[in-house]
Amino acid sequence: MPVIEVADLVKEFRRPKRQEGSFAGLRTLLTREQTVKRAVDGISFQVARGEMVGYLGPNGAGKSTTIKMLTGILVPTSGTVRVAGTVPWRDRARNARQIGVVFGQRSQLWWDLPLRDSLWLTGRLYDVPTARFEEKRRQFTKVLDLGSFLDTPVRQLSLGQRMRGDLAAAMLYDPSILYLDEPTVGLDVVAKERIRAFVGELNRESGTTVVLTTHDLDDVEELCDRIVLIDHGKVAYDGAVAELKTRYAPHRELVVQTDALESVEGAEVVRREEGKVWLRFDPARTPPAALVASVLARHEVTDLSIVEPELESVIHRIYADRG
Amino acid sequence: MKAHLACARMEFRVALTYRTSYLSSFVMMLLQIYLLTVVWSAFYDGRDEVDGVSLSTMTAYATLSTLQYTLVSPWRSSPIDQRVREGKVAVDLLRPIGFPGQMLAGQLGWASAAVPVLLVALPFALLIGAGQAPASTAAAVAYPLALIGALLVNQLLGLLLGMVSFWTLEVSGALMAYRFVAQFFSGALVPLWFMPGPVRAAAEWLPFQATAYTPAALYLGQVEGYGMAAALAVQGAWIVALGALAAFVWSRARHRVMSQGG
Ligand SMILES: Nc1ncnc2c1ncn2[C@@H]1O[C@H](COP(=O)(O)OP(=O)(O)OP(=O)(O)O)[C@@H](O)[C@H]1O
Ligand SMILES: [Mg+2]
Repeated sequence: MPVIEVADLVKEFRRPKRQEGSFAGLRTLLTREQTVKRAVDGISFQVARGEMVGYLGPNGAGKSTTIKMLTGILVPTSGTVRVAGTVPWRDRARNARQIGVVFGQRSQLWWDLPLRDSLWLTGRLYDVPTARFEEKRRQFTKVLDLGSFLDTPVRQLSLGQRMRGDLAAAMLYDPSILYLDEPTVGLDVVAKERIRAFVGELNRESGTTVVLTTHDLDDVEELCDRIVLIDHGKVAYDGAVAELKTRYAPHRELVVQTDALESVEGAEVVRREEGKVWLRFDPARTPPAALVASVLARHEVTDLSIVEPELESVIHRIYADRG
Repeated sequence: MKAHLACARMEFRVALTYRTSYLSSFVMMLLQIYLLTVVWSAFYDGRDEVDGVSLSTMTAYATLSTLQYTLVSPWRSSPIDQRVREGKVAVDLLRPIGFPGQMLAGQLGWASAAVPVLLVALPFALLIGAGQAPASTAAAVAYPLALIGALLVNQLLGLLLGMVSFWTLEVSGALMAYRFVAQFFSGALVPLWFMPGPVRAAAEWLPFQATAYTPAALYLGQVEGYGMAAALAVQGAWIVALGALAAFVWSRARHRVMSQGG
């Protein structure tokens, strides 16, 4: 049973066309001419309960716009969205109770007040019983290490601290679905890791469904089994991460540390550097074991390893190829 | 309701964090009360009464409307246009309560932060002889009701105006014009009883008088008996009408939310 169902979803942004020349401002106000931007152009996909999906795409692909429709912020131009039986924009308040949302670019915390107050408000808004609230806050304070800045006004927090605060606020009322729109943007390696660990744990322990938008593919590699890749508002790929790799980057690389190696059958030398040779091969045609055996049989080898393609380079290739 | 109260309390706390502006607004207020007593004394020019209104009633009116102004003012009408411009509406729309209700609750919470200032300012006003006790027991009872009514009418007007920014972001000019019109017709500067006939008629048919003139006039006994009930009823009618209109406008605006950025 899918918990999120999206079918033929479209969002167009209409703007009155900006007029040029004298009285431009007034004429812009009065004009009927509009510019139309189709940000989401017929997207369909489904997410099962407990799944973690990476929702990817280049800048301006329509990811945030989709998330805003899934969360009920935006009303779709056409198409349907159902999230656990509700239509988000129509039953906005009801849907809000079952979802947690973090926008990396925009905080939901109250800028002028201590983080503690924002958490308090969240507890109130979502009718979290006091005992449960205390328990959750204690838990998150520990796991997300909020203790040192609970009483600091949010505007004084670092980006990483603020993001952790936002995550705590989003999960305080145990929503079953979590939307993350660039939750690691601008964070250092340690902070990113902490957030990934937190989300991974939520999913394992509570079965939280996660839809994750990011430009850091390590987030996806660590958390998601499945990717929905969109471009120009349309779905370009929907499937397993592993399959995406075999489809777009079928080759593996064998890195051999050796003194002399000219060529090997079934593989192509793609790089040479400081006594290392990179051999690219297609595992479907040349079995790795056979290749390794034939290299070892003919050369003096001090070290060797097989390199899996990184999602990063795969996605990079897809973006570069798109017409 | 609990959720709305919580929103109100957050804005109340935010308002309290701006303590310096708090203090300066307090000083400005006392100064304004003093200046207004001077101006009205000059206007009366030695006469005891003008059009049946005594000088002491007039200065008390000026004081009262100045004090009320910290609670009910078209200058602090709505945060919506700013939230639309900065794309913060997205965050408001993630909360599990309605958008107009959230905005209203927040605004009322913010306004209520002025109550402590009022309580401190009141004795000062009496000290410089610019105040008066309520005209009667009925006036004392009706005044807080009328003040709450004024608060609601003012905030509903602000809400309506703020929602215009879902159609056009160029609202600052219109907002400025609105504030001057609203301030004048509310009777905050010149009470309705001193307005010339046609202007007064216009003021009586507009909602703005319910935001300043009504509570002050009730307090000072300028409106009495049956008139009191009528004035409160007019306020109530405006609250219902503006509330319904706001709900309707929001149902339309909902489809126009753009939520910029991110
Ligand atoms: N309020 C708006 N008005 C007009 N156009 C908009 C609006 N919001 C988004 N767009 C346009 O819609 C397209 C999709 O935007 P969206 O924010 O969904 O992209 P995204 O995939 O999240 O990109 P990024 O990776 O940069 O965050 C963009 O071309 C953007 O310019
Ligand atoms: Mg985005």
